[in-house]
Amino acid sequence: MRTRAVALSILSSAAVLAVGWQLGEQGRVQDVASAASTSTQVSAPTATPTPSSTADSGTAASGTAAASGSSAAAATATPTPSTAAGVSGTFTGAVSSTRFGDVQVSITVADGTITDVTALKLTDKEQKSVSISNRAAPVLRQEVLAAQSAQVKSVSGATYTSDAYLTSLQSALDQAGL
Amino acid sequence: MSLRTAPPGRQADRARTASVDRTRRIRSRRRTRTADLMIAACWASVALAVSLYLAYGGLSEVTDLASGLTAVGIVTGLVGTDLILVMLVLAARIPAIDRVVGQDVAMAFHRQLGKPALYLILAHGVLLTIGYAMTDGSNIVALTIVFFQGSDMALGYLGLGLLVAVVVTSVVAVRRRFSYEAWHLIHLLSYVAVLTALPHQLSASGVLAEGTLQRGYWIGLYVLAFGAIAVFRFAVPIVRSARHGIRVSAVEQLAPGVVSIHLSGQGLDRLQTAGGQYAIWRFWTGTTWWHAHPISFSAVPTARSARITVRDLGRGSAAVGRVRPGTRVSIEGPYGIFTDAHRVAPRMAVVAAGIGITPVRSLLEHSDLRPGEATVVLRGGDLGETYLWNEIGELPSMRGNTVFSVMGPRPRGLGTWLSAEALARGVTITSVFPALRESDLYVCGPQSWADLVIRDARAAGLPAAQIHVERFDW
Repeated sequence: MRTRAVALSILSSAAVLAVGWQLGEQGRVQDVASAASTSTQVSAPTATPTPSSTADSGTAASGTAAASGSSAAAATATPTPSTAAGVSGTFTGAVSSTRFGDVQVSITVADGTITDVTALKLTDKEQKSVSISNRAAPVLRQEVLAAQSAQVKSVSGATYTSDAYLTSLQSALDQAGL
Repeated sequence: MSLRTAPPGRQADRARTASVDRTRRIRSRRRTRTADLMIAACWASVALAVSLYLAYGGLSEVTDLASGLTAVGIVTGLVGTDLILVMLVLAARIPAIDRVVGQDVAMAFHRQLGKPALYLILAHGVLLTIGYAMTDGSNIVALTIVFFQGSDMALGYLGLGLLVAVVVTSVVAVRRRFSYEAWHLIHLLSYVAVLTALPHQLSASGVLAEGTLQRGYWIGLYVLAFGAIAVFRFAVPIVRSARHGIRVSAVEQLAPGVVSIHLSGQGLDRLQTAGGQYAIWRFWTGTTWWHAHPISFSAVPTARSARITVRDLGRGSAAVGRVRPGTRVSIEGPYGIFTDAHRVAPRMAVVAAGIGITPVRSLLEHSDLRPGEATVVLRGGDLGETYLWNEIGELPSMRGNTVFSVMGPRPRGLGTWLSAEALARGVTITSVFPALRESDLYVCGPQSWADLVIRDARAAGLPAAQIHVERFDW
């Protein structure tokens, strides 16, 4: 091969790789940002605040389906809108669709604190997705309980599942007004 | 197209030579530049395949050995597939590639890529299976069985199996055990292999997920590779054959096993065949239609006629010698860079052996030569190998130019392209071509013989750019 051909090959390849790497870095920052922000990505808000199993708390959601996964829904769902800190009950997030299947989570809130996160649906297309989901879900649950918000890092190797999980979680949080 | 100014004065002649030289230099520079760009494009496409993964943010997913293996598995799959698509483009006989580097070089590159591409694809399958198994904590066999149950994945495995078959049958040692047709038929499976691999790439790959730029690019690559094959190997030849309506008009026996086939048709000059080129011919008779033959033009086509000359080197070409006048012929081409347009030097040195005379005859016919510009050496083993020799001396362009003949067998146990008798007389490549270093050397004949000519020319200091070879190794 001629020197010029070698030089051209190296230069063009390096440029292409650099651009790809740069895009990857940018994408990662955006991924984390979008997963952690608001519930604007929620595809179909099917918020159905269900009465909590511990009915004696008295502050359980009234059962009115929220029209949208916004904070307004939380206001109607909660009898005591003045202090969000006192919210209790189970709130189900919107279904978030990915190409590997739908994801939906519900949260259990006691006195304004997230006490549990339950995955109702997880990515399940193909065996591979199931195994990824099973690995990612406990990690995400732990992190959410620790952070008390959707502002957590996605699990590596399970980007789709994580993003959808956190999106659904955010919509549940919005309903709870947290 | 030769435009000869009546008695050219010495000065005018020199000016003309200078301008021809300049044109050649410019053309040659442009060709090398395009060739360099094509090579760079090949490597950039490989880099782009890796970049698809980088842009997807793949690096952030690599945290441990399992995810590392998975990442390498994904990248090998992307690069391997990219190489296979490059191979398809190289085999598509695209005129632009043929003009710049020639089909020979393109196919040599195609062959070189075969094994690396296969290894990459194999690594893709193995690494991803191990990587996934490690992540899941399941075993490899169980996971492979699971993969087989997914329809897209099963297709992927089918593609892999076909690919192994194609590469294994193409490895030279194995290829000899097959007839060319059987090998070629298996080789066509590579198209199927690449296509069956597509569904699992589009459905299972995160890199090529729906709605991403990567997916668009990847599908574009497939369209480009298969489009090039469809257009240049099927559409163009079919249209061209239909338009020119070529038929055999006469078959002329020149020597035992050597025939000139005269063809007639419409607008054959519009094929813009350059002297020295070949085309791939198909003769539509019951016994020959399934075999396409690359045969050189032995004369530059006129509007209504063309002539090709062939020697029966294989079973197929023997049958070609028996076609009857009136037989329909389809054409793919013309191809080849054994032409005047590819010259770079002020003089011309030509060596032809046996049937290698065919492209040399049309090359010289098409060249606009000054007296003393060209020297031609015709090489024959015996009197039976002197066909078309008489025509060389009669060409108008050969006026004032020398033709040598070197007749007789090669000496035993000695690697030389000359005859024993010529060697004994002390003939060498520089004695027949005194101006070799400032000449374009055109060599056409059997491969092993041509290699010896090139060896001598290189030893005499001739740069590779000035050597033009047409091989007969099909």
